[in-house]
Amino acid sequence: MIALLVAHLVVGLGLIAAGSRAGRGAPWIAALPSAATLVWLIAQAGGVLGGEPVTQGVAWVPALGVDLDLRLDGYAALFVLLIAGIGVLVFAYSACYLPGGGAGEGRLLGLLVLFAGSMLGLVLSDNLVLLFGFWELTSLTSFLLIGNDHSNAAARAAALQALLVTGLGGLALLAGVVLIGQAAGTFSLSAVVADPPGGTTVTVGLALVLVGAFSKSAIYPFHAWLPAAMAASTPVSIYLHSATMVKAGVYLIGRLAPAFDTVWLWRPLVVEFGLLTMLAAGLRALRQHDLKRLLAFGTVSQLGFMVVLLGLGTRATLVAGCALVLAHGLFKAALFMVVGIIEHQAGTRDVRRLARWGPGWGLTIAVTVVSAASMAGVPLTFGFIAKEEDFAALADGAFSYAGLVLALVVAGSMLTAAYSLWFAWGALGRAGPDHASDALAPAASLVAPAAVLAALTVVLGIAPAVVDRWAGGAARALDPAVGPVHLALWHGVNLPLALSALALAGGLALFLGRARIAPVLAWGGRLPSGADAYHWALAALNRGADRLTGLVQNGSLPTYAGVILTTAALLTTGALVAGGGWPGWPALVGSAGHVAVCVALVVTAVAAGAVHRRFSAALLLGATGYAMAGLFVVQGGADLALTQVAIETLTTVLFVLVLRRLPDRFEPRVRPGRRVVRASVAVAVGLTVFGLALTAGGSRTEAPVSGEMVERAVPDGGGRNVVNVILVDFRGFDTLGEITVLTAAAIGSVALARAGRRHRGRDPAEPAADEALEVRRLVVVDVAVRLVFPAVLVGSLYLLFVGHNQPGGGFVGGIVAGAAVALRYVAGGIDDVRSLSRARPWTVLGAGLLVSAVTAAVPLLFGGEVLEGALVEGDLPLLGHIKLTSALAFDVGVYLVVLGLVLMVFESFGDEPRVPAP
Amino acid sequence: MNALLSLPVLLPLLGAALSVLAGRSRPLQRAIALTTLTAVAVLAVVLLVEVDHHGPASTAAGGWPAPLGIALVADRFSAIMLVVAALMLLAVLVYAIGQPGAERNHVGFQSVYLILAAGVAAAFLTGDLFTLFVAIEMMLTASYVLLTLGGRLDQVRSGMTYVVISLLASVLFVTLLAVVYASTGTVNMAQLSLRIADLPDGLRSALAVLMLVVFGIKAAIFPLFFWLPDSYPTAPSPVTAIFAGLLTKVGVYAIIRTQTLLFPAGTHPVTLLLVLAGATMLVGVLGAIAQGDFKRVLSFQIVSHIGYMIMGLALFSVAGLAAAVLYTVHHIVAKTGLFLTGGLIEHAGGSSRMARLGGMVRTAPVIAVLFLVSALSLVGVPPLSGFIAKFALVDAAAARSSYVILAVSLVVSLLTLYSLMKVWIAVFWSPARDPVPDAVVPRPGEPLGGPLLMVAPTAALAALTLAIGLAAGPIYDYSVRAAADLLDPSAYVTEVLG
Amino acid sequence: MTVLLAATAAALFGIGTYLVLQRKLSRIIIGIALLGHGANVLMVSSGTRGRAPLIGNGPTEDLADPLPQALALTAIVISFGVTALLLALAYRSWLLTHDDEVQDDVEDRDVALHGAPDVELDDENADREDVP
Repeated sequence: MIALLVAHLVVGLGLIAAGSRAGRGAPWIAALPSAATLVWLIAQAGGVLGGEPVTQGVAWVPALGVDLDLRLDGYAALFVLLIAGIGVLVFAYSACYLPGGGAGEGRLLGLLVLFAGSMLGLVLSDNLVLLFGFWELTSLTSFLLIGNDHSNAAARAAALQALLVTGLGGLALLAGVVLIGQAAGTFSLSAVVADPPGGTTVTVGLALVLVGAFSKSAIYPFHAWLPAAMAASTPVSIYLHSATMVKAGVYLIGRLAPAFDTVWLWRPLVVEFGLLTMLAAGLRALRQHDLKRLLAFGTVSQLGFMVVLLGLGTRATLVAGCALVLAHGLFKAALFMVVGIIEHQAGTRDVRRLARWGPGWGLTIAVTVVSAASMAGVPLTFGFIAKEEDFAALADGAFSYAGLVLALVVAGSMLTAAYSLWFAWGALGRAGPDHASDALAPAASLVAPAAVLAALTVVLGIAPAVVDRWAGGAARALDPAVGPVHLALWHGVNLPLALSALALAGGLALFLGRARIAPVLAWGGRLPSGADAYHWALAALNRGADRLTGLVQNGSLPTYAGVILTTAALLTTGALVAGGGWPGWPALVGSAGHVAVCVALVVTAVAAGAVHRRFSAALLLGATGYAMAGLFVVQGGADLALTQVAIETLTTVLFVLVLRRLPDRFEPRVRPGRRVVRASVAVAVGLTVFGLALTAGGSRTEAPVSGEMVERAVPDGGGRNVVNVILVDFRGFDTLGEITVLTAAAIGSVALARAGRRHRGRDPAEPAADEALEVRRLVVVDVAVRLVFPAVLVGSLYLLFVGHNQPGGGFVGGIVAGAAVALRYVAGGIDDVRSLSRARPWTVLGAGLLVSAVTAAVPLLFGGEVLEGALVEGDLPLLGHIKLTSALAFDVGVYLVVLGLVLMVFESFGDEPRVPAP
Repeated sequence: MNALLSLPVLLPLLGAALSVLAGRSRPLQRAIALTTLTAVAVLAVVLLVEVDHHGPASTAAGGWPAPLGIALVADRFSAIMLVVAALMLLAVLVYAIGQPGAERNHVGFQSVYLILAAGVAAAFLTGDLFTLFVAIEMMLTASYVLLTLGGRLDQVRSGMTYVVISLLASVLFVTLLAVVYASTGTVNMAQLSLRIADLPDGLRSALAVLMLVVFGIKAAIFPLFFWLPDSYPTAPSPVTAIFAGLLTKVGVYAIIRTQTLLFPAGTHPVTLLLVLAGATMLVGVLGAIAQGDFKRVLSFQIVSHIGYMIMGLALFSVAGLAAAVLYTVHHIVAKTGLFLTGGLIEHAGGSSRMARLGGMVRTAPVIAVLFLVSALSLVGVPPLSGFIAKFALVDAAAARSSYVILAVSLVVSLLTLYSLMKVWIAVFWSPARDPVPDAVVPRPGEPLGGPLLMVAPTAALAALTLAIGLAAGPIYDYSVRAAADLLDPSAYVTEVLG
Repeated sequence: MTVLLAATAAALFGIGTYLVLQRKLSRIIIGIALLGHGANVLMVSSGTRGRAPLIGNGPTEDLADPLPQALALTAIVISFGVTALLLALAYRSWLLTHDDEVQDDVEDRDVALHGAPDVELDDENADREDVP
């Protein structure tokens, strides 16, 4: 079986890939997998119909109970017969129907083969999840097939409608499958059916499964997609939308019915929706003038009938249902082929424009009459046999309201007979202009496939015993208690016969009186239909999506930031308060120093936020930074303070560099409303931080890990400055990451500042003429700087080397070196900076990162850990006796990266922008 | 072993340094980046095998045992994330090299890209909360640069949104670290999982929620995701692809890691997580439906699908977490592939606005197939990776009787299908509304619809999502083992603290 | 941790938040800087305070907790790098627009104002009720 599925897959994909290159032979290649399947099925038939199913399994995801378990039993065999048999005929039909050539055609045939494969998998699956998977695949291939003629807007819309409706059903099915599987403890279909679980979840699951089945089999209220799908080309309509795919839902209902028809809501659902569909669609069919839509509604109506029969799940109805499935497959496929032929020859499907057929149409007419008769249930056609069985099964009524159901089914059969007549009448050109048609007669090869089906209809109509084993085997696979089946033409004069006669007579009456009932039908047509519901829902969905998105995604940064901060504040506070555990108030103030710096901090911060001049804002921010340094000092963080000062200086310089370009004043134009919002968010955030900080500070129970660091800094870390030892040794990995960040930032700012510069067509080398700088170029400053510069550099190196033992280190050193460069910039502008050394800032940056990374990596070569330290003692001139640790090398890297960053930043901001100011 | 854990971070750093020095020699830079990332991928696979056999592995950076030094830790979850990430980085790098644009015009691209790689690897491998902060900063800083490469106006604008929001997240992260240290005296995650348990309920749940917010911003969950759909689409397509694939997932990884490792069972904000998951799915997918530019459609879908991963976590069952792991892996592959395909569409069609594209199923069939594969994988069509991932989630939810989230997730997957098929219909089927003037699709000399170096990686990812689907059995088993580790962190803790 | 420090941090966070919620990038940058200061205040005050952690000049008992200092230092440096980048962004934005106002996202405004730029009205050509 898996081989067959693979064959479908390969051939299908092959044809799609081949596209137009496939040529005229393509349909015959496409027919091969179906033919193979048919042969295989016949070979297996004996045993399978006798009650020994063929199984094959491959594990897929055993842990989830999802495996590729295939099982061919009598019931599956019936559907495989339809899929493969009609498949072969459809491809034969396509060989003459399709013009030949064209990529679209290769795609069409390939997709048809892929569909056949999915459908085969669906009926062979013995695993509910696998079945769902193939179910989805059939929906998908159907989508692609309907829309295959993608230049046709109606086709596109129909494709989407079919996909969404069946997709919705598919998801309901998945949910149902999961619920049932969870309850049963297995997803094996045969196991679930053999030992059906119970309980509310199962009942809900079944309802969901029915939703899936209904949507797939175009049962009201999901039916609308099927008539719409008639936009697809004829082979697709024959194969998917009458013979096979739409029967998937019926198939599933039949599978589950015997096991679950005792669940209270099963029968009401299947019977009511089935009958509703049968009747309503029958009425709709009577109003159609497009032959294809007429047949589509006919199919919907018949599907409703099958749902009723198989859904009831009594032994008799199961047999009858199987017979009906077979009969319908035969006559409906033939009729669709006829419609295709008519459209192919006469160029229209509208009965009002079809004239009587001339000579050469005999065979077509015969096929039409026979198949329509079978649809109507006229004796000597298989349709009649099936209908007899149906009536008999319903008449022996092993279920409640049997009489009512029977009556309604008979009514439905009247409608069926009526629209069958109406179809034949129209198809034979009796409803159109009263003259002979000038359309060419179809080629025999085009009619042949339909003729085969019609012939079968007649043969089986006269000698139905031929398919006893099929119908019986199928029904017995569902319910082993089904006895031997005898389909026969003549059961003697009995109720079913009478009902058949009644149905035909009623149908004839309705047909003759169609003019009189037209108003009623028209009124029915004005009732809200599934199509309207679909379009309404889709429009509502799109509108809703726009509304909501427009609301939440308003594109404004302040809103986003506000929402995020508010969420953080509210959630955290909420958790904090709800959980409780307030540790009590800590000391009020640490020391007088604290008070001073904190006041300074807050005051400068407020000022920085309040002023309306960018320049002063920048300076005040700098002040806040220095206040932070002060706080660090009183808190006991010498390195921290040092770093903070260095950074603050640099940041302020940067700010000034950027701000000197920007207009000096902010234009404060905000609505007071916004102020209030901002203020309240600010307060919320502040309070949260306050509460969180106090709670956290008071909740410390364990000793911090840093104690050990202090102890081991000198003996193992080889440095007395614990913070620096932590930075370059204990937690050197962080520092490595840190300088990586700096590298990226440096590259980024240069990239941004230089972006698009070259194609602005100005020479980068041209001297920067910056008045602001010109002014500052005083000789005194210049000289002073040139004197100070080397000293500062040496100082920076000193900080680098002693860093391990006293405040300092690579980072501070690098910044100080940067400051030196900043001095040169102030004095001489960017050109002076550029003149400092041949080495490009890039090189400095890269070298720095390289040094650090290598230092980190080298120990690995000697089987050590990353960043593992080594220690060298020695005397250096000028610096005296020092311990050289590998950490120092690492710190050198840091120094270089920072310097490189500063240089690159000056490269990017210090330089003149190469765009003309407006 | 220790080398296995540190090299995935160190190699990209060395590579970055070298390629900065390599300066303007693009071929040299490319060689460096390709070799580095290939090496990382190989190492990652070895690490995965290693970890799967012997359980969590760790190494102490600088030879200082945790909590004194920084521990690098790998368990099954981080290992598989690392493997997938490495593969994506490699594929996208090839794509970027093949694409005319970003990579070619910018000296810094290769270096920054490698820094991004290092950041991602560090984030997956670190066992230290502060190092996680540093790692995420590496990743983000690199991403700022990549996002604004070229400095176009829309990039600068979206760049501002992106950078500012990320900076807010970083500030919150530092605050979180301060609070954590203040209350526990350590930032080592293994030690934290022991100490946080003793904290008062209020503070502990506050920490849990704050972490959720901090990483939730990165992961783009509701209501913290707004920055994403505005910023991603403006970047060059390979950049967007790697962002879509990896950046949000680092957030998801951090959420799953911290929630499972740091907080004892029974104290998790389950309801909050479920609500957020549902809201994220719904708002995200509705946003996708409302877009007219397919890059934005895809971006909104990222958000929507993050919801699925959070859903898996929120179930706090082995099945749920296993599904989350599997779904994350699947989503990284499928989404990256889809964005690369999007780049191809834009390259061939000359626009990313759906109204301007059309009929490409005829003009660019290869792209159509690639799109269909990734898209259907996202929707969850068998046998692609999305099918089992989605089913595993639904099954886990049902097992936990969380029917509401189950229903939401199914509805959302239908809406996802709708939004993707809208793109399919508009781009590949219907004729263009207002076509790009004199656009020749495909460009002359590109029968595949794009340069080979762009198509090949995209196809590779499409193949990968199929492969994951077919090999779902073993991969799911692995996810189950990973989930078991996550739910019972004792092995992790003992491995780190000895 | 003292009430004073907590309050200071809270104040810095408050002011920072207020500034971040504005449109001028310069203001936002200042706001973020203040938020960063607030976070660092929390960080350094998360450990015991005391003398600078330099070993050799005195007993180690009354040393300040060095770890938070190291962490804060790393955080400061990182935020410095990113600030530089953000400034570059402001600079760029000035080059392009001669302003540093953060504009709203155009696409979002579109959706908010006119709804989705409709791709294909699915019901436009679809199967309608058939007229007898």
